[in-house]
Amino acid sequence: MRLKPLLILAAAAAGLYFAPVSAAELRIGFTLDPLTLDPANHRSRETESVLRTMYNGLVAHDPSMKLVPELIESWTWIDPQTMEAKIRPGVRFHSGETMTADDIVFTFTRLLADGAIAGQTSPRKGLLGPTREVVKLNDSTVRFLLTEPWPVLPAMLTFQEVVSKSFTEKAGAGGIATTEDGTGPFKLVQWRRGDSLVLERAASYFGGGPGIPKAGNACIERTIIKIIPENASRVAALLAGDVHIINELPAHDIRTVEANPNTAVMAVNGTRSFFVALNTTKKPFDDVRVRQAANHALNRKLMIDKLLAGRATKLDGVMSPAAFGHNPNLPEYAFDPKRAKDLLTAAGYPNGIDVTLDADGPQKETAEAIAALLTQAGIRTKVAIGEGSQVRTRWAINGKKEGDMWITSWGNGSLDPTDIFEPTLQTGGRGNSAFYSNPKVDALLAAGGRETDATKRAAFYQDAEALIHADAPWIFLWLPQDLYGVSRRLTGWSPAASGWLNLRDVCVQ
Amino acid sequence: MTPVLLLQRVGHLVPVLLGVTVIVFLMMSLTPGDPAEIMLANQNATPAQVAMLRHDMGLDRPLMERFVSFVGHALQGDFGQSLFHRRPVATVIMERLPATIELSVAAMAFALLVSIPLGVMAAVYRGGVLDRLATVGALLGVSLPGFWFGILMLIGFAVNLRWLPVSGAIDFAAQPPGITGLMVVDSMLALRGDSLMNALAHLVLPAITLGLPMAAILMRVTRASMLEVLRQDYITFAEAKGLGRGRIIALHALKNGLLPTVTVAAMETGSLLGGNMVVETVFGWPGLGRLVVESIFVRNYPLVQAAVLLYAVTYVVVNFLADLLYTVLNPRVRM
Repeated sequence: MRLKPLLILAAAAAGLYFAPVSAAELRIGFTLDPLTLDPANHRSRETESVLRTMYNGLVAHDPSMKLVPELIESWTWIDPQTMEAKIRPGVRFHSGETMTADDIVFTFTRLLADGAIAGQTSPRKGLLGPTREVVKLNDSTVRFLLTEPWPVLPAMLTFQEVVSKSFTEKAGAGGIATTEDGTGPFKLVQWRRGDSLVLERAASYFGGGPGIPKAGNACIERTIIKIIPENASRVAALLAGDVHIINELPAHDIRTVEANPNTAVMAVNGTRSFFVALNTTKKPFDDVRVRQAANHALNRKLMIDKLLAGRATKLDGVMSPAAFGHNPNLPEYAFDPKRAKDLLTAAGYPNGIDVTLDADGPQKETAEAIAALLTQAGIRTKVAIGEGSQVRTRWAINGKKEGDMWITSWGNGSLDPTDIFEPTLQTGGRGNSAFYSNPKVDALLAAGGRETDATKRAAFYQDAEALIHADAPWIFLWLPQDLYGVSRRLTGWSPAASGWLNLRDVCVQ
Repeated sequence: MTPVLLLQRVGHLVPVLLGVTVIVFLMMSLTPGDPAEIMLANQNATPAQVAMLRHDMGLDRPLMERFVSFVGHALQGDFGQSLFHRRPVATVIMERLPATIELSVAAMAFALLVSIPLGVMAAVYRGGVLDRLATVGALLGVSLPGFWFGILMLIGFAVNLRWLPVSGAIDFAAQPPGITGLMVVDSMLALRGDSLMNALAHLVLPAITLGLPMAAILMRVTRASMLEVLRQDYITFAEAKGLGRGRIIALHALKNGLLPTVTVAAMETGSLLGGNMVVETVFGWPGLGRLVVESIFVRNYPLVQAAVLLYAVTYVVVNFLADLLYTVLNPRVRM
């Protein structure tokens, strides 16, 4: 190979190409290019993460994932089907125009009306549930009108960003898909498709909401979000000092990143609960003792350590400890194979049981580990791997209900219990793969779904979670963490469960 | 070549493209997974929401109707909307095409510049050290998987030595004004040396990774063909005339020896287009290959169909050009 001339060329190039990087520039290695810059016309978490650096919503999360008003000052429920929001004054778009009630009404009309985006209907419409209309009451107030009670609305508003009416009308559907006029801390300089987004600090940024400390100490002037889809390359870019933050750090690279003196690992609890759904409508899992036995059979700590490099939080209930209405007092299903065998015997299975665990390809390794541990406790488990959509059909609520167990998960991006309890554990819920039905739980969920008083509402879900814990329709597994690799030169940044990049206060030393 | 023959060649394109369209359309449709469900996957959508999105994407129409509509529109240059970008497919592809062209041309240039001299030398000094080294190198070049070799180069030259950049096509600070979208060309048009060096530095690793298998194959083809040619009577005759070795090789042998190389190089463009998908992913290269991979994963039918059609056209055109070049290299061949 004639490598020598190339090496000489490379060496010569190296001297020239490394442009001096000022400390005021932050570079992020990110997995995916945004699909569009139109906040209303996608259903992609990565796209939203990027958009949130340029746009804001009416509601946001504080660092502990508590809901806080962002482009509004407060929200109040007039009645269970009407929510009023007071608009924050003095917020300006990057173009310099002031945000008004009309912009907010326009944003939501665009999301809700069929065919509002040049003939296309916003794929984010479904995230607004029974919201019928948003109307302007006066210059500083808008009202959300719902067709039925929906207290989760404020949490769901975190998924929508406010656009400028005049900009959107002028730019058209094509313009807003490739340029922006948001209210966020950064504005777009250039979107180099597939390569990077170049952002600069927006001087007009209003500084954040209450509960979000006022910005002003952000010391980076420019952010470059470089799109590096391949895991190994993204890690390489971090180790080479080419980027300061990478998302989706693979668990097997944790040690490499930690061993490097210039880099570190940061983690945050995700929002997706993993569990094994147990078919509660047929033998043997129609008996609560067998379901409890299965919960006692797993050594979840060992599994988290071995399979997820320790980067997950053990669950004994339905959802993340950070979620609204989580019950912190749930007892633990301790790893206890003897207890599991006793429970099986009590349920009339002294010789154990034979069952099948359904899983799709990506869950194969975990499923096999679960099967091995269950088998040791007398629940002799075979693993059946299927293609994702086929397995899902097999476990659909209106299906034949033939399976024994299925390892699956449910995301709860809003961190509101409605989003996970109602579909997965209410009788007939669309994701109720355990075919679980408990009238008491149904009543509590119905009450929680109507209640607009936060304290009372939380109590309903805590009670429901306690009942579900005892009924054990699932083998409760874990909540994986989202992993990031960061440069040690980085300060003022921490990852968020929402996946938002939250760059307002970042510094690169 | 007469205009009639040219028309005939263009006419051959029609069945090829139609066949490719049918196959891609059927394969994408038979693959399990529904774009609407994938778009809303992990987002806990209700069946009604999925149904609405499918309608919005036009996926609730029968397969035949969708096919006819796709072909009808494609004939007018309209490839529809990308289901996920929600913009016209043609626009999305055109944004990414220049980077792929740049990388492919660089890889091909690398492959030709390395393989032809090496192949010739290996044939001339058959059995020598260089021949053996080149043969072993070619074997490695063909058998090393691109993604692995790419990451190896990345760790060596970008992470440890820090000579070359890890990813992307050019740094923001060095970016020339966009004219062609090809960074190297734009840098030269703008007369910016810093941009040119920056663009070349970004090109080195991906181009070598992409071009290596092609270089290996071409080296072997050139060597074999040169060995064949060097045994011909007219070479012996030239030697008997007392012509110098270099002159015989450069003027008499090389021209004939390169004929198979041209054919194989044209055929190998196909694997170059395929290799793009891997290399662009590894090096974060903002090209079409990566876009196609991402689109296949999420069943973005319209984009994959249009891109595969584009690949098919490219392949046929490159092979056609190779045939033309053939007639130039060897006047005995008539089309």
